[in-house]
Amino acid sequence: MSQYGMIIDLNRCVGCHACSVACRAEWNVPVGKDSENRVRRRSWVERLGPTKTPKGLAYTYYPGLCNHCDKPSCVEVCPADTVSKTFTGKDGTTKTMDVAATWKDPFDGSVQIDKERCIGCGACAEACPYTARYMNEDGDEPKADKCTFCVERIALGGEPACVQTCLAGARIFGDVSDPDSAVSAYIKKGAVRLESAAVKLGPNVRYFGKERDLYLLDKTSTPQELAQINQRRLLMAHLSKKTSRHLQGMGLLGMAALWMKSKEQDSDRTE
Amino acid sequence: MAVKMTRRRFLQSTGCAAAVLPFANLVQADDSFVKYPYVSPGSMAGTQTVTGGICEMCFWRCQVIGKVRDGKLVKLEGNPKSIDNGKSLCARGNAGIKLLYDPDRLKYPLKNIGKRGAPKWKRISWDEALDECATRLKATIDKYGPQGITIFPHGSSAVYPMHFFEHVVGTPNNSEASFFQCRGARDLAYLATLGVPAGEEVDMPNAKVIFLLGSHLGENVHVSHLKRYLKGLENGAKLIVVDPRFSAAAAKADVWVKIKPGTDTAFLLAIMNYLAENEKYNVEYVDDNGDGFDDFCEGIAHASLSWAAKICDVPEAQIKQVADMLSADMPHVAIHPGRHTSWYGNDFQRERAMACLTGMLGAIGSVGGFVRPIGPKLGRFSWPTPMKEHAEEYSLRRLAKVHKFSPPGTPTDLIRNAALTGQPYPIKAMVTWGQNPIQTVPNQAQTIAMLEQMDFVLVCDVMPTDITMYADILLPEVSYLERYDYIKRGTQWDFAEEHQQYIAARMPLVAPETKDHERKDSVWITNELAKRMGYGEHIKAKSAEEMVDIMLAGAKPTLSLKQLRAEDGIHLQEGEDPYDVELDVVFYSEALEEAGYPPVPTYTEVPQPPAGYARLVYGRLPVHTFNRTQNNVWLHQESTLNPVWLNEQSAKKMGLKDGDMVELVNDQGVKSRTATVVKVTPGIRSDTVYMAHGYGSMNPALTVGVGAGVDDQSLISNPSIDPETGTHGMRNNFVRFIKDGKELSIPA
Repeated sequence: MSQYGMIIDLNRCVGCHACSVACRAEWNVPVGKDSENRVRRRSWVERLGPTKTPKGLAYTYYPGLCNHCDKPSCVEVCPADTVSKTFTGKDGTTKTMDVAATWKDPFDGSVQIDKERCIGCGACAEACPYTARYMNEDGDEPKADKCTFCVERIALGGEPACVQTCLAGARIFGDVSDPDSAVSAYIKKGAVRLESAAVKLGPNVRYFGKERDLYLLDKTSTPQELAQINQRRLLMAHLSKKTSRHLQGMGLLGMAALWMKSKEQDSDRTE
Repeated sequence: MAVKMTRRRFLQSTGCAAAVLPFANLVQADDSFVKYPYVSPGSMAGTQTVTGGICEMCFWRCQVIGKVRDGKLVKLEGNPKSIDNGKSLCARGNAGIKLLYDPDRLKYPLKNIGKRGAPKWKRISWDEALDECATRLKATIDKYGPQGITIFPHGSSAVYPMHFFEHVVGTPNNSEASFFQCRGARDLAYLATLGVPAGEEVDMPNAKVIFLLGSHLGENVHVSHLKRYLKGLENGAKLIVVDPRFSAAAAKADVWVKIKPGTDTAFLLAIMNYLAENEKYNVEYVDDNGDGFDDFCEGIAHASLSWAAKICDVPEAQIKQVADMLSADMPHVAIHPGRHTSWYGNDFQRERAMACLTGMLGAIGSVGGFVRPIGPKLGRFSWPTPMKEHAEEYSLRRLAKVHKFSPPGTPTDLIRNAALTGQPYPIKAMVTWGQNPIQTVPNQAQTIAMLEQMDFVLVCDVMPTDITMYADILLPEVSYLERYDYIKRGTQWDFAEEHQQYIAARMPLVAPETKDHERKDSVWITNELAKRMGYGEHIKAKSAEEMVDIMLAGAKPTLSLKQLRAEDGIHLQEGEDPYDVELDVVFYSEALEEAGYPPVPTYTEVPQPPAGYARLVYGRLPVHTFNRTQNNVWLHQESTLNPVWLNEQSAKKMGLKDGDMVELVNDQGVKSRTATVVKVTPGIRSDTVYMAHGYGSMNPALTVGVGAGVDDQSLISNPSIDPETGTHGMRNNFVRFIKDGKELSIPA
């Protein structure tokens, strides 16, 4: 099994924001904030510093995106009906598993969303400690959205839009399970994950740079606790997953019920 | 009666031969309700790739391709064939489509029936607009002569009208922002010292030391330029950054010199004096190519390390460290001449010192030094020059016998003073093309007074800006994605690679939509104006396309748009050795001496902040170009405000914290129109505050950019004029903050 990953080399990065704008162009990502006050973005650059660190004055960037975690907290909480989905690897092997509206691909390790089946409840966006998901509420129904590692472009022989446009070559994309890949070379050199004692989801985006820059990045941008997901919503998620098994074959009805419930819950929350 | 028209029927009915460009936007009314796509199709699915684009989100002009779906441009990417920017684009380049589809864009010729500055717009036809422009410009010429007109051009589409007004109409009053507010002092200083203008052609990829003085590479982003810089760092070049602020470049530096603003020339003189005294300079190069070196050494002998250390507020040991680093790796040293160099009104001298230091190190034509990459030849195209001679008689610079080392054109301040005083002659009509003098030229009050005394103001642009509010007639231009004009040429960015040259001409990636606007390109507009003003006989190109083809035909070997199209927008050919250059270095300049200027680089003190004030310095953000991009919704999202950097010790004493909203007021009592946030940081000196340029536009027609952040230019009311060149120094104003209506002093 492969695991797609990305390295961000802060020694190369000049913080030019081309990656985040290219992503917006590629995926038509709306601007502004969603109704939960999350910035609507799949990829971002935050400027950090200049500030003092024990390693010296640091001025660096947090180019962020979905980490396509080993143990993604977002996938667990998706309350959508599960369906059986068959995945095909590059070598033609297949694997079938039950997935809700978001899942971790068993072959490339990327985390994806089926927008048609997403019920727009926002649980996944709330669950992500990195705020890497937002709700796109511009359409007829809200849908979760986030970085897909541009698997659609990769499938056509391209590279992620952010990687393509990066003038610095500061974004390196590849397979972390391949010991000969450029990403693996960076991991050996010491590229780090943004993880804390409380948040250990195994992010597959890693950062490489000077000690003082990594110190500042860690201090400002590593989540210290898992998001406090609304308990009722989590309960809902569990209940609905069970319910959905009973409702298999009555999918549409189940969806409708869940949709209404989540709406009701949303209004509870805003009151 | 609504007629249903399909895309196919439309194309048939118009017999559209130029069907390479999709016109589907014209038939949008045919669309029925479309379900919102949950999954954005991305740029690769169902798009047609169109080549031949040249970016103009800034002036660097990367080569781009467009992804077109249903006649709409959905994405821009770097042209993979490019040996300049390659497949990369910066944030602004990527956001180009949001300029193209910006609903705030100028759409129709407009006539101001209100007041200048508080316009009431009336839509008029092109005929009416052009007739009125021609009549009123002719009236100005009849009454005051062609010198009664001034033109403020900027950008590639402004070259054609600029030359029309200069050569055919005969006005000498041409003020390009790129000279007088940007790089004029630099290029003229290098010309006076090395015999060639500086450009930015230093061989950073192969340098052993990169020396940046006030250049914050990374915050100003030009793709191939940055590639050079980053490649140099990757190859192990040591980086020295001289800046009062811990900039993006300083963050990557081996040595950060936290210099006192305005003292850079003293710093450079001390380095050169130290190198000379200790014979640590490139004796061979100076012996062979140096001119007046002994007199030069004598002239800078006072510049000891301790002298400079005190002036610059930098440890003596650090100046020595920098000098030794430069010396140890000479001649493989990239001394970057800088880009925007009009800082303090003593800028020619500082740039002279930069060029002399380059010469002392022999870093000319050397690997890693100052090189002369040779681009391909192109044919010339210009208006004939029936009135150019006449214009020379009315050169304000000549008449006043000032700024003898000035760039071409007329220093902005001379034009403004002439307009305001009527001396030596009145200036009563103003043509602004792609430039926004409100936010480029210091002292807005005077600029507005100049505008108000005009009989006629014509503005042509793509977007509304602050100057468009002052137009009598406002003309809408097509954007760089919809027109032919600029031909970009150059070489591969890393000079150590195979020598190659390229030629790429700007071609439209989409046809201008015509459904809800009547935009035209500058060649059409100028020609129509020329005909109406009675200069029709001088027209040499009927269209922008023809103009470009004439220039391409003169290339060696001959090229055409047709051929460029067949070559995916870029023609490549064998190049020449950029290192093969030896330049004489004028250390002691008799020409300068004769003209009454210091013959050796000289440090002149700059005004210091009064108690309670800090110097306002400004710079760039990678997501914006000047003040042109603040209304771009994607770029705005990346950086909505321009925070003002304040030293953390000062902030503590002032009781300010990060994120507090403040207004600013300068030492001449000018208040900012808007507010911005404070950024508290140890990364700036306490005598200096910093903000990014270009924010805080006042035009409400900019629905995204209006009032966002603070307009730094509004606070620069004291333009210091560089004596040699007439360029504007814009860092001699001092500010303090206003919070909750109370003025707060900034402790030193």
